[in-house]
Amino acid sequence: MLNSSVRDELVRIVGSRFVFDRPEDLRLYEYDGGVDKARPDAVVLPQTTGQVSAIARLASRHGLPLVGRGAGTGLSGGAIPRFGGIMVGFARMNRILEIDFANERAVVEPGVVNLDLTIAVQPGGYFYAPDPSSGRACTIGGNVAENAGGPHTLVYGVTTNHVLGLEVVLADGAVVRTGAFWPDSPGYDLTGLLTGSEGTMALVTKVIVRLMRQPEAVKTVLAIYDSADNCAATVSEITARGITPAALEMLEGKLIQIVEEATHAGYPLDASGVLLIEMEGLSEAVEEQAEKVRAACMACNAREFRVARTEAERALLWKGRKNAFGAIGRVSPFYYTQDGVVPRTKIAQTLREIGAIGKRRELMIGNIFHAGDGNMHPIITFDARKPGDLERAQRAGFEILDYCISVGGSITGEHGIGMEKMELLGHQFSDESLDLMRRIKQMFDPLCRLNPGKVLPTGKGCVEMRQPPLINLSQEM
Amino acid sequence: MEMIRPSNASDLAEALTAAATSGATIALRGAGSKDAMGGPVPDAQADLRLDRMSGILQYEPHDLTIQVAAGTPWQELNAVVTGQGQMLPLDPPRAATATIGGIVASNCSGPRRRLYGTARDMLIGMTFATLDGSLVQAGGMVVKNVAGLDTQKALTGSFGTLAAMASVNFKLVPLPEASRTFLFAFQAAEECLAARQRVLASALQPAAVDLLNPAAAKLAGCDGFVLAVRAGGSETVLARYARELDGSASLEGEKESTFWRTVQEFAPAWIDQAPEHSLVRVGHMLSELGEVLDSAAGPVVARAGNGVSYLAFDGIDALQNWMIATREKPWSRVVEWSGAAVQRNVELWSGAVDDFALMERLKVLFDPQRILNPGRLYGRL
Ligand SMILES: Cc1cc2nc3c(=O)[nH]c(=O)nc-3n(C[C@H](O)[C@H](O)[C@H](O)COP(=O)(O)OP(=O)(O)OC[C@H]3O[C@@H](n4cnc5c(N)ncnc54)[C@H](O)[C@@H]3O)c2cc1C
Repeated sequence: MLNSSVRDELVRIVGSRFVFDRPEDLRLYEYDGGVDKARPDAVVLPQTTGQVSAIARLASRHGLPLVGRGAGTGLSGGAIPRFGGIMVGFARMNRILEIDFANERAVVEPGVVNLDLTIAVQPGGYFYAPDPSSGRACTIGGNVAENAGGPHTLVYGVTTNHVLGLEVVLADGAVVRTGAFWPDSPGYDLTGLLTGSEGTMALVTKVIVRLMRQPEAVKTVLAIYDSADNCAATVSEITARGITPAALEMLEGKLIQIVEEATHAGYPLDASGVLLIEMEGLSEAVEEQAEKVRAACMACNAREFRVARTEAERALLWKGRKNAFGAIGRVSPFYYTQDGVVPRTKIAQTLREIGAIGKRRELMIGNIFHAGDGNMHPIITFDARKPGDLERAQRAGFEILDYCISVGGSITGEHGIGMEKMELLGHQFSDESLDLMRRIKQMFDPLCRLNPGKVLPTGKGCVEMRQPPLINLSQEM
Repeated sequence: MEMIRPSNASDLAEALTAAATSGATIALRGAGSKDAMGGPVPDAQADLRLDRMSGILQYEPHDLTIQVAAGTPWQELNAVVTGQGQMLPLDPPRAATATIGGIVASNCSGPRRRLYGTARDMLIGMTFATLDGSLVQAGGMVVKNVAGLDTQKALTGSFGTLAAMASVNFKLVPLPEASRTFLFAFQAAEECLAARQRVLASALQPAAVDLLNPAAAKLAGCDGFVLAVRAGGSETVLARYARELDGSASLEGEKESTFWRTVQEFAPAWIDQAPEHSLVRVGHMLSELGEVLDSAAGPVVARAGNGVSYLAFDGIDALQNWMIATREKPWSRVVEWSGAAVQRNVELWSGAVDDFALMERLKVLFDPQRILNPGRLYGRL
């Protein structure tokens, strides 16, 4: 519960329409795309940097946690206010402030929806490269916080490669600008340090991004396999042949059927693996690449190599990929998406291990993922109504991540640590490495009020807010 | 001055702790190829060199990733990956002597950054030793990774003022089948800028788009304002570039390499000529390049597709006059390279950036006694 003087002050800052503290309103803000839940004491929707700063000062005076929220599509519980406090929703800071084609830049507020930026710059022949599959909903602020990727980040790089500067509000309300419109800003790269900090070091209020020229030609192909091993082997075969596709996505196992039945994208129902591969660039280069990719797929025993002939066919192939999560929803009301990374040459063995873990734990696990980066997304279905089922799914997920670490990989390629993987971070990094992260976090937020209880393992994080972890494995949906 | 040359990461960490315990100031170097970059090297009590920490630690060509010890010579790394048909397209200056750690620490980059970016875009992990003797891992050996804070960003471009890198991991890029460079020469800057604009707005995706003013062009054996566009790909793709870049002269093979070597080595070659020479790195909007060119009195090499230009000055007065004349510009201006006569006598950085206070806190967090390369980075961090 919020004390009434704090409430009054929030109302003074943003107006009564944009402060929520009734339980029925707060319920909308207690979850994100992941599986954890916790309710904030109040939600405020500021419209200016000045308001964000005033909210931060207020939270600071009263020692309240401060948690930023974009669209709430995060999959690691990043936006869950696990210790309550004030949630700052960026939905109203959604203006594109500047589009400058000649300088290949845009300046946006954090609440701008990812896809809206690309739609806004398309008429000029440009696009914003990081393209998370959730692009229709997620915000640029959330993307910066998570350092989001997407299918095309294989060739263009992830969010951090496209952000040149930030305006941020620190925990004490100070407004600071980092970086610039151009690269190589003098001094330390604070823009890079803040990108991917999951809302634990600052609230982002403005973002300077690079725009890229739209490619002249795009070619999308579907390679179909009877063996998932061969499908996975194609990924390193493509690398070995010196080809860099713009996107290289894989669907595996039962998921192919599920996706096909929901979207009729033309994925064969009996395939064991399919690769969705996209080439972009100069038309000459794209033609050549497509031929080389065909050769690589055939060398790995692809059953069929299908080239999308029309824009409609191309869109359909992608629709299957992008709507996969909705498709799974049709067969299982509950699923849990994991996010781990392995070296590209280790994809086949990792898929086998995931299969074995699923069998052992009696869970259906499908894989639909950014294969070109080695970024695995096992999707674990379960039944939340059965006691212990979610827990079982989470344990399977963690086993998979430990395997990723064991083959030299990482526990997250794009969804972040949030509150989901805090404890696992200690499996990947030494205590010394974690300690440095903590000290840098505390340099930005000495009293540990920004998104407390995230990223660092319990006991290795901020001292001020150290509390027992929320045991929140049961979930009602 | 005591010279310390550790040959592995734990010796490096030990050397740092020893210095921290005694409060000795440390000059941290790779092979020492960049003493003319950044602020003057302090009168240090310890000379810590990483050149013996050398070698390829892990290389799996099919993963397109590599891990090397920080003191590995650039040339060695370059030769190893080229041998596998891959590349790390950093194009750093002083390529003959530079170590990879030094390149990352000073954030050296080159012409092909238009397409491939800089060290921060190619790095996927590193290990560094801090003054309290810790060995810190950042990132890893995979190309996509958001586990925990991205602490390697702090080290990239830190000029050895925070910690000492022990090893660095990169993602690599396949070598294109062939490379060609298309050169345009113009009498007037406006024409050259218009040609640049056409290239940037076209469907072409060149690796490099550099612009040289006449004084710089002369050093590369060319005349006038020169626009150099470098492309990679098959013969068919390069033929397309040739069609679109009609009216240009094209360079390939040894001639192309020589041209780019001159461009890549522009800064150090200029500095080596005279102790009064200096070179300013200007960050600006792409659309401000004309103004930047107009402001210059000497040679200019511009990364015309990035908004980073290098202005050469032949004396302290010329440098200071330019600094005063461009005081009101929104650009970022850093004297990146300077000869001995300039380095100790001139303010190398203009105006504090908005986040300078945070940078100072970061420095103190890593190095509370300010003993590690003090004064080398921006604002004497
Ligand atoms: C179906 C689906 C597909 C997805 N596909 C991808 C994918 O391909 N690639 C990928 O990377 N992710 C993907 N995601 C995950 C998610 O969409 C991304 O993590 C996204 O970046 C989150 O953005 P958001 O606006 O929803 O942020 P939220 O979920 O609201 O918040 C995420 C984190 O950002 C912080 N935050 C939000 N705004 C700010 C701000 N202004 N300042 C500081 N901190 C802030 C929050 O505190 C929280 O820690 C997917 C999710 C779903 C549901």
